[in-house]
Amino acid sequence: MKTQQYIDSGILETFVLGAASEEEVKELLYMKAKYPEISEALQQLEIDMEKLARDLAVEPPSGTWYKIAQEINAVIPHQDASPQVFNRRDSRKRPDTENGKDNQYIEVEGESSHMRLHKAWRWIFAAVFVLGKIFLAFAIYFYLENKHTQQQIQEMRTEIRELKNKK
Amino acid sequence: MNTQVQNSASVGQSRLLLVHKLYQQYAGMLLGYMIDVIKNQAVAEQYLIDIFKNVPHELDELTNPDVNPFCHLQAMARKKLADYSSRSTPENESKPALCNNKYTRQMTEEQQLIFCGVHWHGKTIASLATELGKPEEAIRKILKDCFTIIRSNN
Repeated sequence: MKTQQYIDSGILETFVLGAASEEEVKELLYMKAKYPEISEALQQLEIDMEKLARDLAVEPPSGTWYKIAQEINAVIPHQDASPQVFNRRDSRKRPDTENGKDNQYIEVEGESSHMRLHKAWRWIFAAVFVLGKIFLAFAIYFYLENKHTQQQIQEMRTEIRELKNKK
Repeated sequence: MNTQVQNSASVGQSRLLLVHKLYQQYAGMLLGYMIDVIKNQAVAEQYLIDIFKNVPHELDELTNPDVNPFCHLQAMARKKLADYSSRSTPENESKPALCNNKYTRQMTEEQQLIFCGVHWHGKTIASLATELGKPEEAIRKILKDCFTIIRSNN
């Protein structure tokens, strides 16, 4: 009877909506562990929340997971790289251990030949490429302009020479 | 002391697979919820990324059979959105927190005010009680009725 009153009070609904106070949460977790009916009622509410969310779901853009995976990959290796006890039997024999030396050094050289760059470099590379094209266009323009001027000078010299000869 | 840092790639990979599984199952649901709250898809997507970035820290809890993974992820989203809600509280508190979907359309205006206020606008039971001039117990009972409507809707 007490459990039914508790369920009917609406406290479970308040909890699944994240609006319960700390005290209410503590009490609810205690009640949930003690009374299976409360646990079942809570599970049903959680299913209702899923149902509501599923009906109002919006598909994330295709690149979203890639961004998340990249960020997680940058964090996970550091978290998991905790030192573990060296096991001589399990490890492959290496030249220095064969010589009786302790395995004090860790090979840190990466196997990948690729380099990762920050995305900002994309714009820098694009700017350098565009500027390169602009300089090239100017160079060609001034080369042709210069060639044309040289030709004109040559023609004028010829004309002056001819005029002098006539005099 | 002989120590060796063993390759942790496989452990990291299995964690990433777990996160991916959760993402496939719940990312759309979380994104839909956050878009409804903040009404800005680009910001909601960024919040989604931020939430799933933190999922590896919560994997023990999320893989606990006693915990509903979606509700836990939604709680993470609510925490994330708390800043947003508190920033927009002065305006929101004065506005009626109504919403429009196939579930809330079946609710009375009062039920909508309470359910939408708590679920999407981050209002507390106490603030709604003050706003509507009702005791907190009554607000909780109305919330319960809202869930009955959601459950009965197919």
